[in-house]
Amino acid sequence: MDMNKETEANNNFFIYEVFSQKSVNASFVHQFSLLAPNKEVALAMARENFLRRESCFNIWVVKRDDIYSLSPEERPFLERIDNKSYRETKGYGDLQARWRYHREQYEAKQKQAESGS
Amino acid sequence: MQTQLERSNLTENEKMEAFLARIDRGEKIEADDWMPDDYRNQLIKLISMHGISEIMGALPEKEWVPKAPTLRRKLAIMAKVQDEMGHGQLLLRVAEDLLAPLGKTREDLMQDLFAKRLKFHNVFHMEAPTWADAGVIGWLVDGAAIITQSMSLDTSYAPYARALHRICAEEKFHAQHGESIVLELAEGTEEQRKMLQEAITRWWPSLLMFFGPPENGTITSNQSTNMRYKIRTQTNEELRQAFLKKYLPRIFHLGFTVPDDTIYFDEAKDQWVYQQPDWEAFKEIVKGNGPRSAHRLNLRETSYTETKWVRDAIMAYGRHVG
Repeated sequence: MDMNKETEANNNFFIYEVFSQKSVNASFVHQFSLLAPNKEVALAMARENFLRRESCFNIWVVKRDDIYSLSPEERPFLERIDNKSYRETKGYGDLQARWRYHREQYEAKQKQAESGS
Repeated sequence: MQTQLERSNLTENEKMEAFLARIDRGEKIEADDWMPDDYRNQLIKLISMHGISEIMGALPEKEWVPKAPTLRRKLAIMAKVQDEMGHGQLLLRVAEDLLAPLGKTREDLMQDLFAKRLKFHNVFHMEAPTWADAGVIGWLVDGAAIITQSMSLDTSYAPYARALHRICAEEKFHAQHGESIVLELAEGTEEQRKMLQEAITRWWPSLLMFFGPPENGTITSNQSTNMRYKIRTQTNEELRQAFLKKYLPRIFHLGFTVPDDTIYFDEAKDQWVYQQPDWEAFKEIVKGNGPRSAHRLNLRETSYTETKWVRDAIMAYGRHVG
Protein backbone atom coordinates (compact mmCIF):
# COMPACT_ATOMS: atom_id res chain seq x y z
CA MET A 1 0.00 0.00 0.00
CA ASP A 2 1.26 3.42 -0.88
CA MET A 3 -0.26 4.90 2.26
CA ASN A 4 2.58 3.26 4.11
CA LYS A 5 5.29 5.35 2.56
CA GLU A 6 4.35 8.55 4.37
CA THR A 7 4.61 6.86 7.75
CA GLU A 8 7.92 5.17 7.23
CA ALA A 9 9.47 8.53 7.96
CA ASN A 10 7.67 8.32 11.30
CA ASN A 11 10.83 7.38 13.26
CA ASN A 12 10.94 4.31 11.02
CA PHE A 13 8.06 2.76 12.90
CA PHE A 14 5.88 0.50 10.78
CA ILE A 15 2.12 0.39 10.44
CA TYR A 16 0.56 -2.83 11.67
CA GLU A 17 -3.05 -3.82 11.09
CA VAL A 18 -4.61 -5.59 14.08
CA PHE A 19 -7.06 -8.48 13.85
CA SER A 20 -8.70 -10.32 16.73
CA GLN A 21 -10.81 -13.42 17.15
CA LYS A 22 -13.56 -13.35 19.76
CA SER A 23 -14.00 -17.09 20.18
CA VAL A 24 -12.56 -20.31 18.78
CA ASN A 25 -15.20 -20.61 16.03
CA ALA A 26 -15.25 -16.92 15.12
CA SER A 27 -13.55 -15.33 12.12
CA PHE A 28 -10.78 -12.81 12.67
CA VAL A 29 -12.10 -9.25 12.64
CA HIS A 30 -10.12 -6.15 11.79
CA GLN A 31 -9.78 -3.88 14.85
CA PHE A 32 -7.63 -0.96 13.81
CA SER A 33 -4.01 -0.11 13.02
CA LEU A 34 -1.07 1.04 15.11
CA LEU A 35 2.55 2.10 14.81
CA ALA A 36 5.25 -0.16 16.20
CA PRO A 37 8.97 -0.76 15.67
CA ASN A 38 8.54 -4.54 15.27
CA LYS A 39 5.96 -7.35 15.38
CA GLU A 40 6.50 -8.26 19.04
CA VAL A 41 5.82 -4.71 20.20
CA ALA A 42 2.90 -4.49 17.77
CA LEU A 43 1.33 -7.57 19.36
CA ALA A 44 1.76 -6.22 22.88
CA MET A 45 0.35 -2.85 21.89
CA ALA A 46 -2.58 -4.45 20.08
CA ARG A 47 -3.79 -5.83 23.41
CA GLU A 48 -3.31 -2.51 25.18
CA ASN A 49 -4.84 -0.37 22.45
CA PHE A 50 -7.85 -2.33 21.29
CA LEU A 51 -8.61 -5.21 23.65
CA ARG A 52 -8.64 -3.69 27.10
CA ARG A 53 -12.25 -4.69 27.87
CA GLU A 54 -13.52 -7.21 25.36
CA SER A 55 -12.58 -10.79 25.92
CA CYS A 56 -10.51 -12.19 23.13
CA PHE A 57 -9.34 -15.63 22.01
CA ASN A 58 -6.50 -14.79 19.61
CA ILE A 59 -4.77 -11.81 17.98
CA TRP A 60 -2.92 -11.29 14.71
CA VAL A 61 -0.81 -8.31 13.71
CA VAL A 62 0.07 -7.90 10.04
CA LYS A 63 2.47 -5.35 8.62
CA ARG A 64 0.45 -3.17 6.29
CA ASP A 65 3.20 -3.55 3.67
CA ASP A 66 2.32 -7.23 3.47
CA ILE A 67 -1.33 -6.58 2.73
CA TYR A 68 -2.16 -6.26 -0.95
CA SER A 69 -5.46 -4.55 -1.57
CA LEU A 70 -7.75 -2.95 -4.14
CA SER A 71 -7.18 0.63 -5.18
CA PRO A 72 -10.03 3.13 -4.66
CA GLU A 73 -10.66 3.03 -8.44
CA GLU A 74 -11.05 -0.75 -8.40
CA ARG A 75 -13.35 -1.00 -5.38
CA PRO A 76 -16.62 -0.01 -7.16
CA PHE A 77 -16.33 -3.23 -9.22
CA LEU A 78 -17.08 -5.26 -6.11
CA GLU A 79 -20.70 -4.15 -6.26
CA ARG A 80 -23.09 -6.98 -7.14
CA ILE A 81 -26.32 -6.95 -9.08
CA ASP A 82 -29.06 -8.64 -7.07
CA ASN A 83 -29.66 -11.46 -9.55
CA LYS A 84 -28.35 -14.54 -7.75
CA SER A 85 -31.42 -15.89 -5.98
CA TYR A 86 -30.58 -19.31 -7.47
CA ARG A 87 -27.51 -19.24 -5.22
CA GLU A 88 -29.45 -18.40 -2.07
CA THR A 89 -32.06 -20.09 0.02
CA LYS A 90 -34.39 -17.13 -0.54
CA GLY A 91 -34.77 -18.41 -4.10
CA TYR A 92 -36.40 -21.55 -2.67
CA GLY A 93 -39.03 -20.02 -0.37
CA ASP A 94 -41.83 -22.23 -1.69
CA LEU A 95 -40.33 -25.54 -0.57
CA GLN A 96 -41.82 -25.74 2.93
CA ALA A 97 -45.37 -25.24 1.73
CA ARG A 98 -44.88 -27.92 -0.94
CA TRP A 99 -43.53 -30.43 1.57
CA ARG A 100 -46.46 -29.68 3.89
CA TYR A 101 -48.93 -30.25 1.04
CA HIS A 102 -47.43 -33.67 0.24
CA ARG A 103 -47.42 -34.72 3.92
CA GLU A 104 -51.09 -33.76 4.30
CA GLN A 105 -52.04 -35.63 1.12
CA TYR A 106 -50.19 -38.70 2.40
CA GLU A 107 -51.80 -38.53 5.85
CA ALA A 108 -55.28 -38.06 4.37
CA LYS A 109 -54.76 -41.16 2.19
CA GLN A 110 -53.53 -43.16 5.19
CA LYS A 111 -56.64 -42.15 7.15
CA GLN A 112 -58.92 -43.09 4.27
CA ALA A 113 -57.25 -46.49 4.00
CA GLU A 114 -57.67 -47.07 7.72
CA SER A 115 -61.37 -46.10 7.84
CA GLY A 116 -62.00 -48.13 4.67
CA SER A 117 -60.59 -51.37 6.09
CA MET B 1 8.28 -16.79 28.14
CA GLN B 2 8.63 -18.64 31.41
CA THR B 3 5.55 -20.77 30.67
CA GLN B 4 6.91 -21.74 27.25
CA LEU B 5 10.13 -22.98 28.80
CA GLU B 6 8.21 -24.94 31.39
CA ARG B 7 5.99 -26.46 28.75
CA SER B 8 8.90 -27.65 26.64
CA ASN B 9 10.31 -29.39 29.71
CA LEU B 10 7.21 -31.54 30.12
CA THR B 11 7.64 -35.24 29.43
CA GLU B 12 5.63 -36.82 26.62
CA ASN B 13 3.35 -38.39 29.22
CA GLU B 14 2.66 -35.06 30.87
CA LYS B 15 1.96 -33.47 27.51
CA MET B 16 -0.50 -36.24 26.71
CA GLU B 17 -2.25 -35.82 30.08
CA ALA B 18 -2.54 -32.07 29.58
CA PHE B 19 -3.86 -32.65 26.05
CA LEU B 20 -6.53 -35.11 27.19
CA ALA B 21 -7.53 -32.74 29.99
CA ARG B 22 -8.06 -30.01 27.41
CA ILE B 23 -10.18 -32.34 25.28
CA ASP B 24 -12.22 -33.32 28.34
CA ARG B 25 -12.82 -29.68 29.24
CA GLY B 26 -14.26 -29.19 25.73
CA GLU B 27 -11.38 -26.99 24.59
CA LYS B 28 -10.39 -26.95 20.94
CA ILE B 29 -6.96 -27.71 19.51
CA GLU B 30 -5.20 -25.37 17.05
CA ALA B 31 -2.74 -26.36 14.29
CA ASP B 32 0.29 -25.12 16.27
CA ASP B 33 -0.72 -26.78 19.58
CA TRP B 34 1.06 -29.91 20.75
CA MET B 35 -0.96 -32.98 19.74
CA PRO B 36 -0.35 -36.74 19.95
CA ASP B 37 0.62 -38.46 16.69
CA ASP B 38 -2.52 -40.58 16.51
CA TYR B 39 -4.70 -37.44 16.85
CA ARG B 40 -2.83 -35.82 13.95
CA ASN B 41 -3.02 -39.00 11.87
CA GLN B 42 -6.75 -39.52 12.45
CA LEU B 43 -7.41 -35.88 11.49
CA ILE B 44 -5.30 -36.16 8.34
CA LYS B 45 -7.13 -39.32 7.31
CA LEU B 46 -10.58 -37.87 8.00
CA ILE B 47 -10.07 -34.35 6.62
CA SER B 48 -8.12 -35.30 3.49
CA MET B 49 -10.80 -37.91 2.70
CA HIS B 50 -13.51 -35.29 3.29
CA GLY B 51 -11.70 -32.67 1.16
CA ILE B 52 -11.03 -35.01 -1.75
CA SER B 53 -14.64 -36.25 -1.56
CA GLU B 54 -15.87 -32.68 -2.07
CA ILE B 55 -13.72 -32.39 -5.19
CA MET B 56 -14.61 -35.83 -6.57
CA GLY B 57 -18.24 -35.13 -5.56
CA ALA B 58 -18.46 -32.24 -7.98
CA LEU B 59 -17.81 -34.63 -10.89
CA PRO B 60 -21.13 -36.55 -11.04
CA GLU B 61 -23.05 -33.27 -10.89
CA LYS B 62 -20.82 -31.47 -13.32
CA GLU B 63 -21.98 -34.01 -15.91
CA TRP B 64 -25.42 -32.34 -15.65
CA VAL B 65 -24.34 -28.72 -16.11
CA PRO B 66 -24.57 -28.81 -19.95
CA LYS B 67 -27.82 -30.81 -19.82
CA ALA B 68 -29.76 -28.92 -17.11
CA PRO B 69 -33.39 -28.40 -18.23
CA THR B 70 -33.62 -24.60 -17.72
CA LEU B 71 -31.24 -21.66 -17.49
CA ARG B 72 -32.04 -21.21 -13.80
CA ARG B 73 -31.29 -24.88 -13.09
CA LYS B 74 -28.06 -24.55 -15.04
CA LEU B 75 -26.99 -21.51 -13.01
CA ALA B 76 -27.93 -23.23 -9.75
CA ILE B 77 -26.10 -26.50 -10.47
CA MET B 78 -23.04 -24.58 -11.68
CA ALA B 79 -23.12 -22.57 -8.44
CA LYS B 80 -23.27 -25.82 -6.52
CA VAL B 81 -20.36 -27.43 -8.38
CA GLN B 82 -18.37 -24.28 -7.69
CA ASP B 83 -19.27 -24.40 -3.98
CA GLU B 84 -18.19 -28.06 -3.71
CA MET B 85 -14.80 -27.23 -5.22
CA GLY B 86 -14.56 -24.36 -2.74
CA HIS B 87 -15.28 -26.76 0.15
CA GLY B 88 -12.52 -29.02 -1.16
CA GLN B 89 -10.10 -26.08 -1.11
CA LEU B 90 -11.02 -25.18 2.49
CA LEU B 91 -10.57 -28.73 3.71
CA LEU B 92 -7.34 -29.36 1.80
CA ARG B 93 -5.89 -26.22 3.45
CA VAL B 94 -6.78 -27.67 6.86
CA ALA B 95 -5.22 -31.02 5.89
CA GLU B 96 -2.07 -29.36 4.53
CA ASP B 97 -1.39 -27.53 7.81
CA LEU B 98 -1.63 -30.90 9.58
CA LEU B 99 0.65 -32.56 7.00
CA ALA B 100 3.32 -29.82 7.13
CA PRO B 101 5.25 -31.21 10.14
CA LEU B 102 5.41 -34.55 8.29
CA GLY B 103 6.98 -32.82 5.29
CA LYS B 104 3.99 -33.52 3.04
CA THR B 105 2.00 -31.21 0.76
CA ARG B 106 -1.09 -31.13 -1.45
CA GLU B 107 0.96 -32.81 -4.18
CA ASP B 108 1.23 -35.91 -1.92
CA LEU B 109 -2.55 -35.95 -1.42
CA MET B 110 -3.17 -35.78 -5.18
CA GLN B 111 -0.70 -38.60 -5.84
CA ASP B 112 -2.33 -40.67 -3.05
CA LEU B 113 -5.69 -40.12 -4.71
CA PHE B 114 -4.45 -41.20 -8.15
CA ALA B 115 -2.79 -44.30 -6.63
CA LYS B 116 -6.10 -45.10 -4.82
CA ARG B 117 -4.39 -44.83 -1.43
CA LEU B 118 -6.57 -41.84 -0.53
CA LYS B 119 -10.22 -42.86 -0.62
CA PHE B 120 -13.31 -40.80 -1.29
CA HIS B 121 -16.98 -41.30 -0.40
CA ASN B 122 -18.71 -44.32 -1.95
CA VAL B 123 -21.50 -42.17 -3.43
CA PHE B 124 -19.12 -40.36 -5.77
CA HIS B 125 -18.08 -43.62 -7.45
CA MET B 126 -21.63 -44.09 -8.76
CA GLU B 127 -23.38 -43.20 -12.01
CA ALA B 128 -25.78 -40.27 -12.39
CA PRO B 129 -27.57 -41.23 -15.63
CA THR B 130 -30.68 -38.96 -15.43
CA TRP B 131 -31.65 -35.45 -14.31
CA ALA B 132 -33.50 -37.10 -11.41
CA ASP B 133 -30.11 -38.40 -10.20
CA ALA B 134 -28.91 -34.79 -10.03
CA GLY B 135 -31.96 -34.04 -7.88
CA VAL B 136 -31.45 -37.06 -5.63
CA ILE B 137 -27.76 -36.20 -5.17
CA GLY B 138 -28.70 -32.67 -4.08
CA TRP B 139 -31.55 -33.80 -1.84
CA LEU B 140 -30.39 -37.06 -0.28
CA VAL B 141 -26.60 -37.27 -0.77
CA ASP B 142 -26.19 -33.67 0.41
CA GLY B 143 -28.79 -34.40 3.09
CA ALA B 144 -26.63 -37.29 4.34
CA ALA B 145 -23.52 -35.10 4.19
CA ILE B 146 -25.27 -32.36 6.18
CA ILE B 147 -26.07 -34.87 8.93
CA THR B 148 -22.41 -36.00 9.19
CA GLN B 149 -21.02 -32.48 8.94
CA SER B 150 -23.42 -30.97 11.47
CA MET B 151 -22.31 -33.61 13.96
CA SER B 152 -18.69 -32.65 13.27
CA LEU B 153 -19.29 -28.91 13.87
CA ASP B 154 -18.45 -29.71 17.47
CA THR B 155 -15.14 -31.38 16.62
CA SER B 156 -12.19 -30.79 18.94
CA TYR B 157 -9.95 -29.61 16.08
CA ALA B 158 -10.61 -25.87 15.74
CA PRO B 159 -9.52 -25.31 12.09
CA TYR B 160 -11.80 -28.18 10.96
CA ALA B 161 -14.69 -26.74 13.00
CA ARG B 162 -14.24 -23.32 11.39
CA ALA B 163 -14.15 -24.82 7.90
CA LEU B 164 -17.30 -26.84 8.64
CA HIS B 165 -19.19 -23.75 9.80
CA ARG B 166 -18.62 -22.18 6.40
CA ILE B 167 -19.43 -25.42 4.57
CA CYS B 168 -22.68 -26.14 6.44
CA ALA B 169 -24.01 -22.65 5.69
CA GLU B 170 -23.68 -23.38 1.95
CA GLU B 171 -24.91 -26.95 2.19
CA LYS B 172 -28.32 -25.63 3.26
CA PHE B 173 -28.66 -24.01 -0.13
CA HIS B 174 -27.52 -27.23 -1.84
CA ALA B 175 -30.15 -29.30 -0.06
CA GLN B 176 -32.87 -26.82 -1.03
CA HIS B 177 -31.64 -26.82 -4.61
CA GLY B 178 -31.99 -30.62 -4.60
CA GLU B 179 -35.41 -30.53 -2.93
CA SER B 180 -36.59 -28.06 -5.54
CA ILE B 181 -35.55 -30.37 -8.41
CA VAL B 182 -37.10 -33.40 -6.68
CA LEU B 183 -40.42 -31.65 -5.91
CA GLU B 184 -40.67 -30.42 -9.49
CA LEU B 185 -40.31 -33.99 -10.77
CA ALA B 186 -42.57 -35.45 -8.07
CA GLU B 187 -45.32 -32.98 -9.02
CA GLY B 188 -44.75 -33.57 -12.73
CA THR B 189 -45.84 -36.11 -15.34
CA GLU B 190 -45.98 -39.89 -14.90
CA GLU B 191 -42.73 -40.11 -16.84
CA GLN B 192 -41.01 -37.64 -14.53
CA ARG B 193 -42.26 -39.49 -11.46
CA LYS B 194 -41.03 -42.78 -12.89
CA MET B 195 -37.59 -41.27 -13.53
CA LEU B 196 -37.45 -40.01 -9.94
CA GLN B 197 -38.55 -43.34 -8.48
CA GLU B 198 -35.82 -45.10 -10.48
CA ALA B 199 -33.21 -42.65 -9.19
CA ILE B 200 -34.31 -43.17 -5.55
CA THR B 201 -34.16 -46.95 -6.05
CA ARG B 202 -30.75 -46.71 -7.70
CA TRP B 203 -29.29 -44.53 -4.90
CA TRP B 204 -30.81 -46.35 -1.94
CA PRO B 205 -27.96 -48.83 -1.19
CA SER B 206 -25.34 -46.10 -1.72
CA LEU B 207 -27.17 -43.82 0.73
CA LEU B 208 -27.22 -46.54 3.40
CA MET B 209 -23.51 -47.20 2.79
CA PHE B 210 -22.64 -43.49 3.00
CA PHE B 211 -22.39 -43.57 6.81
CA GLY B 212 -20.14 -46.64 6.88
CA PRO B 213 -20.77 -50.15 8.27
CA PRO B 214 -22.85 -50.49 11.46
CA GLU B 215 -20.97 -51.17 14.68
CA ASN B 216 -23.14 -54.06 15.90
CA GLY B 217 -21.93 -53.38 19.40
CA THR B 218 -18.24 -53.44 18.50
CA ILE B 219 -16.74 -50.07 17.74
CA THR B 220 -13.60 -50.15 15.58
CA SER B 221 -10.38 -48.73 17.01
CA ASN B 222 -10.60 -45.89 14.47
CA GLN B 223 -13.99 -44.89 15.78
CA SER B 224 -13.07 -45.16 19.44
CA THR B 225 -9.93 -43.04 18.89
CA ASN B 226 -12.05 -40.44 17.12
CA MET B 227 -14.59 -40.43 19.92
CA ARG B 228 -12.01 -40.33 22.72
CA TYR B 229 -10.44 -37.26 21.09
CA LYS B 230 -13.89 -35.79 20.34
CA ILE B 231 -13.04 -35.60 16.65
CA ARG B 232 -16.54 -36.99 16.17
CA THR B 233 -19.31 -37.62 18.66
CA GLN B 234 -21.71 -40.07 17.00
CA THR B 235 -21.37 -43.57 15.57
CA ASN B 236 -22.07 -44.59 11.96
CA GLU B 237 -25.38 -46.17 12.94
CA GLU B 238 -26.53 -43.15 14.96
CA LEU B 239 -25.92 -40.94 11.95
CA ARG B 240 -27.67 -43.35 9.59
CA GLN B 241 -30.71 -43.46 11.90
CA ALA B 242 -30.82 -39.65 11.99
CA PHE B 243 -30.80 -39.68 8.18
CA LEU B 244 -33.56 -42.30 7.91
CA LYS B 245 -35.75 -40.46 10.43
CA LYS B 246 -35.47 -37.23 8.53
CA TYR B 247 -35.77 -38.44 4.95
CA LEU B 248 -37.77 -41.70 4.81
CA PRO B 249 -41.09 -40.02 5.77
CA ARG B 250 -40.54 -37.44 3.04
CA ILE B 251 -39.91 -40.14 0.43
CA PHE B 252 -43.21 -41.78 1.48
CA HIS B 253 -45.09 -38.46 1.54
CA LEU B 254 -44.23 -37.97 -2.12
CA GLY B 255 -45.70 -41.41 -2.82
CA PHE B 256 -42.36 -43.09 -3.56
CA THR B 257 -40.84 -46.29 -2.20
CA VAL B 258 -37.40 -47.62 -1.33
CA PRO B 259 -36.19 -51.07 -2.52
CA ASP B 260 -36.67 -52.70 0.90
CA ASP B 261 -39.94 -54.63 1.41
CA THR B 262 -39.42 -55.24 5.11
CA ILE B 263 -38.35 -51.78 6.27
CA TYR B 264 -40.30 -50.54 9.31
CA PHE B 265 -40.03 -48.12 12.20
CA ASP B 266 -39.60 -49.83 15.57
CA GLU B 267 -41.40 -47.47 17.97
CA ALA B 268 -40.03 -49.17 21.10
CA LYS B 269 -36.42 -48.91 19.96
CA ASP B 270 -37.08 -45.57 18.26
CA GLN B 271 -35.24 -46.65 15.13
CA TRP B 272 -35.73 -47.83 11.55
CA VAL B 273 -35.12 -51.53 10.91
CA TYR B 274 -33.78 -51.98 7.39
CA GLN B 275 -32.07 -54.56 5.19
CA GLN B 276 -28.29 -54.16 5.17
CA PRO B 277 -26.68 -53.18 1.88
CA ASP B 278 -23.89 -55.38 0.50
CA TRP B 279 -20.94 -54.30 2.69
CA GLU B 280 -18.49 -56.37 0.61
CA ALA B 281 -19.54 -54.33 -2.43
CA PHE B 282 -19.01 -51.18 -0.34
CA LYS B 283 -15.40 -52.18 0.36
CA GLU B 284 -14.76 -52.71 -3.36
CA ILE B 285 -16.35 -49.39 -4.30
CA VAL B 286 -14.31 -47.27 -1.86
CA LYS B 287 -11.16 -49.13 -2.91
CA GLY B 288 -11.72 -47.48 -6.28
CA ASN B 289 -13.54 -50.29 -8.07
CA GLY B 290 -17.01 -48.72 -8.37
CA PRO B 291 -18.92 -48.22 -11.64
CA ARG B 292 -17.48 -44.73 -12.33
CA SER B 293 -14.30 -44.80 -10.17
CA ALA B 294 -11.82 -45.27 -13.02
CA HIS B 295 -13.51 -42.71 -15.26
CA ARG B 296 -13.61 -39.97 -12.62
CA LEU B 297 -10.11 -40.65 -11.28
CA ASN B 298 -8.86 -40.51 -14.83
CA LEU B 299 -10.66 -37.21 -15.42
CA ARG B 300 -9.11 -35.74 -12.24
CA GLU B 301 -5.64 -37.02 -13.03
CA THR B 302 -5.73 -35.86 -16.64
CA SER B 303 -6.88 -32.41 -15.58
CA TYR B 304 -4.12 -32.29 -12.94
CA THR B 305 -1.28 -33.44 -15.19
CA GLU B 306 -2.32 -31.45 -18.25
CA THR B 307 -2.40 -28.22 -16.25
CA LYS B 308 0.95 -28.82 -14.55
CA TRP B 309 2.78 -26.56 -17.00
CA VAL B 310 0.43 -23.69 -16.03
CA ARG B 311 1.27 -24.06 -12.33
CA ASP B 312 4.97 -24.33 -13.13
CA ALA B 313 4.87 -21.24 -15.35
CA ILE B 314 2.96 -19.21 -12.74
CA MET B 315 5.41 -20.20 -10.02
CA ALA B 316 8.45 -19.41 -12.15
CA TYR B 317 7.02 -15.98 -12.94
CA GLY B 318 5.77 -15.43 -9.35
CA ARG B 319 9.16 -16.19 -7.83
CA HIS B 320 10.74 -13.83 -10.30
CA VAL B 321 8.58 -10.77 -9.62
CA GLY B 322 6.89 -11.50 -6.31
